[in-house]
Amino acid sequence: MASTSNSSKSPLLMTYLQVTPLTVVLVFFFLIPVALVVAVSFFRYQMLVGLVPDFTFKNYYDLLSNPTTWTLYLSTLKFTLIVLAITFVLGFWIAYFLVFHVRNLLVAIGLFLVCTVPFWTSNIIRMISWRPVLGKEGLINSALLKIGAIDQPIEWLLYSDFSVVVAYVHLFTLFMIVPIFNSMARIDKSLLEAAVDAGATRWGVVWNVVLPLSKTGIALGALFVVTLVMGDFFVVTVMSGGLSGSVTSGIFNDLQFLNYPRAAANAVILLIIVLLIAAAIFRLVDVRKELVR
Amino acid sequence: MSASPSYGSRPWTFYVLATLFALFVIFLYGPMIGVLILSFQGPSASLVFPLREPSVMWFDELFNPRRTGDVVGAFYRSLPLAAFVMVLTVLISVTAGFAFRRRFKGATAIFYTAIASLIVPGLVLSIGILVTFRYLGLTANWYTSGLGAHLSWALPFGLLIMFAVLGRLNPSYEEAAYDLGATKWKTVKEVVVPIVFPGMIAVALFGFTLSYDEFPRSWLTIGSKNSLPLEIWTMTTNVTSPALYALGTVTTVVSFIVIAIALSSIFLIQRKRS
Amino acid sequence: MTNMNKTASSMTANSATAPNRHESGEIRLVDIAKKFGNTYAVQNINLTIPHGSYCCLLGPSGCGKTTILRMIAGHETPSSGEIYIGDQMVVGKTPVERGTAMMFQSYALFPHLTILDNVAFYLKMRSVGKDERRQKAEEMLRRVQLHHLRDRMPAQLSGGQQQRVALARSLITNPRVLLLDEPLSALDEFLRLKMRGELKSLQNELGITFVHVTHTQPEAIALADMVVVMDTGRIDQADSAKVIFNSPKTPYVARFMGGQNVLTGNVEKASSGTVRIVTAGGATFEAASGEAKATPGQPLSIAVRRDRIKLRRRSADQKSAAVNEISGVVESTEYQGSYVKVTLDLGGDVFVANVSDADYFAEPVDRGDAVTASWLKADVHTLSKVDTGAAGDPYANSSH
Repeated sequence: MASTSNSSKSPLLMTYLQVTPLTVVLVFFFLIPVALVVAVSFFRYQMLVGLVPDFTFKNYYDLLSNPTTWTLYLSTLKFTLIVLAITFVLGFWIAYFLVFHVRNLLVAIGLFLVCTVPFWTSNIIRMISWRPVLGKEGLINSALLKIGAIDQPIEWLLYSDFSVVVAYVHLFTLFMIVPIFNSMARIDKSLLEAAVDAGATRWGVVWNVVLPLSKTGIALGALFVVTLVMGDFFVVTVMSGGLSGSVTSGIFNDLQFLNYPRAAANAVILLIIVLLIAAAIFRLVDVRKELVR
Repeated sequence: MSASPSYGSRPWTFYVLATLFALFVIFLYGPMIGVLILSFQGPSASLVFPLREPSVMWFDELFNPRRTGDVVGAFYRSLPLAAFVMVLTVLISVTAGFAFRRRFKGATAIFYTAIASLIVPGLVLSIGILVTFRYLGLTANWYTSGLGAHLSWALPFGLLIMFAVLGRLNPSYEEAAYDLGATKWKTVKEVVVPIVFPGMIAVALFGFTLSYDEFPRSWLTIGSKNSLPLEIWTMTTNVTSPALYALGTVTTVVSFIVIAIALSSIFLIQRKRS
Repeated sequence: MTNMNKTASSMTANSATAPNRHESGEIRLVDIAKKFGNTYAVQNINLTIPHGSYCCLLGPSGCGKTTILRMIAGHETPSSGEIYIGDQMVVGKTPVERGTAMMFQSYALFPHLTILDNVAFYLKMRSVGKDERRQKAEEMLRRVQLHHLRDRMPAQLSGGQQQRVALARSLITNPRVLLLDEPLSALDEFLRLKMRGELKSLQNELGITFVHVTHTQPEAIALADMVVVMDTGRIDQADSAKVIFNSPKTPYVARFMGGQNVLTGNVEKASSGTVRIVTAGGATFEAASGEAKATPGQPLSIAVRRDRIKLRRRSADQKSAAVNEISGVVESTEYQGSYVKVTLDLGGDVFVANVSDADYFAEPVDRGDAVTASWLKADVHTLSKVDTGAAGDPYANSSH
């Protein structure tokens, strides 16, 4: 963050004024709500009364001693790892293709936009749009039936772990592409040539130069994908047809019964895990440098 | 990178990756196009291909609230909400972006809070805002709690874009303007804003679309009346007609109009400058 | 900063044990052309660079010199033509197969690797064991006197140090050809002159072929055994520095090298090795006809060295009639230390005389003074192309 030299002429007060609106929004719609969630997680839940202020670990104890919680966390973790792996591979090679294989810059930017435009459209619609493709009478099944590859429609295409992963990949890959693309676009092309000069093969260049120099982008993409999948409830509900759950479906169920304390406790556990992963990623690479530069 | 033995031809990896890219684009857009087509389904009301007797009846159905719920009302809430979020996101992230060009106490804390706001699970925040409003004795409403929830998601994006844009703004432009006798305010108006304007359009695009499509953060904060994504969510469970696809088509078209306006204005400005 | 002469000699001393390639580093470009889209970056390039020579590719930016270097390096493939290094046709071969090493303009040090790992990169690519490559890279760093910085990252080094690392990284491949892309342009004036000398002695010691791209004339003249002057996509002249500077073949080279005035007139008479031309303004010059085809009535251009011009004042109405003289008005004078650069206006055309400071201050002239410039026939030589004017030539008035 460069400071302008004529900044010395304007008082620091101006800077604080400029950052006040942002701070106010963050305090009222992020810090206080999250703090309250933490507070409520120690409250007592009483049928018909609802929230009773207290300081009890009962909610946490209930959750952690309940095997369902562990199943849900394991299931979410499984989805997170699978989706992370797929989106990383896709995101890395697509960004690599755009940056290092498309020779015309305008074409590269155009193709990049093609990848990002769906980001600005509705996630729910994009999710639903898989139904006519993967369903029992969907495009894939009818095509496979027609060519005689199968006699019976494949059941596991929709409302299964498979369709959940498909939807996640569909929704979140661009969160990988964009930061990796950004990192790669900053790599001086002569570094690749210098590696070739030193006898690196195509794969050697990717492994020794491109991959390490895209590290921050990969970390940033991973941060997005992990937090999005960990915090998701809606994709897993719609795409598994209610068969799979996620951590947040536990929260959701508690909310249905107005058991706010337990929902809050669950939310706090989720929050801690997400923040730990984020902290680990921030530790691994200086993401801030990448973002601010 | 020329390991190819022939004259100037592309390496084989180009074709492999180009294929991957093409498949990815099909994967990305194919289902959306499918929904677009199926929204013109005829009276057979089939939710899958093939398209029989194409018609626009499901669009009519959409605006007939007896069958599908309050789609029109949801539109009239979601659009102004998105517009509000857009304007506020631009104003707040641009001013904050400028503040961050200087060192000040608390900069790091505010930055990491913004990032945390970006990665906190939406449902968690939704609960928190609801509880906050309840304790303050306020009713959740789309233009209060809903607006705040959306801002907590759109602002960090706006801030990051402003960092990228302002990072490229050379302080010597401002110094030059100052040298030429411009006041601080005039410098901003005549020099800084024109330079960062394309970035501001990008922030606006994010502000609008992130709010217009936001779901998890709206869940508990939007109040008694649904925003459009929530309305669609309700429909996914109780509407089993192509009206759902028609709604999908309508919202996607709105998104695409907004994207087209934003991207083409950025493109036009850039072209005028080069 | 330490002297690289020592460095270089120890390098050769030790390279006997290294798996050196003693193949010839002669480079032959045959009918090379390179197209980007629909435009030719370079065309009709035929050039032989002898083994063990220091060759400078010289020209303004965009003339195609870097494209040629990159084609030799294997980072660009020619659209047509052949490139030989030694007896090997190398188009399509990797840089290591070619035996070339390139030093990039930005040095292209890997920012995520330490200095040591940068230098060891080549060995790593050849799957040399960790200890061995560490030891060899340390040895190389010791030779460029940067051993103490081996664990630093490139961003922590000064420009001069980065360049040494880049050099070490190139030389560890034992190349038969070292390609340098504007290696001195990122350095300040003092370091540039120092490194210039070190590069030259390094090349002497190693005895391999150096190809050095530059847009700076003094750099080329100081370094090169062979200077290749390029115009837009073509080679104008390839010769020794002395020949290029003293006997440019074309008006472009004469102007670009900076030491010459170009004058054009119609051939009046050509006999017994002497050609006589008359300008449109009526001035008459004589020159040894040289290789130029001098047909009476045809236009011909000549070049006169700036530092061989004598100036004398004249009264404003006096027209000079003598041979090898021209009249003009002083437009500007620029003190350059050992000489004074006097620019004359010949009535539209520009003419430059570099007068030694002793001569100048003996009879100073000033802006607006009418003067006559004169020179000896021996200081003139004919150009093989007729000057079509300096339009579009950014270096036409350069003062080098």
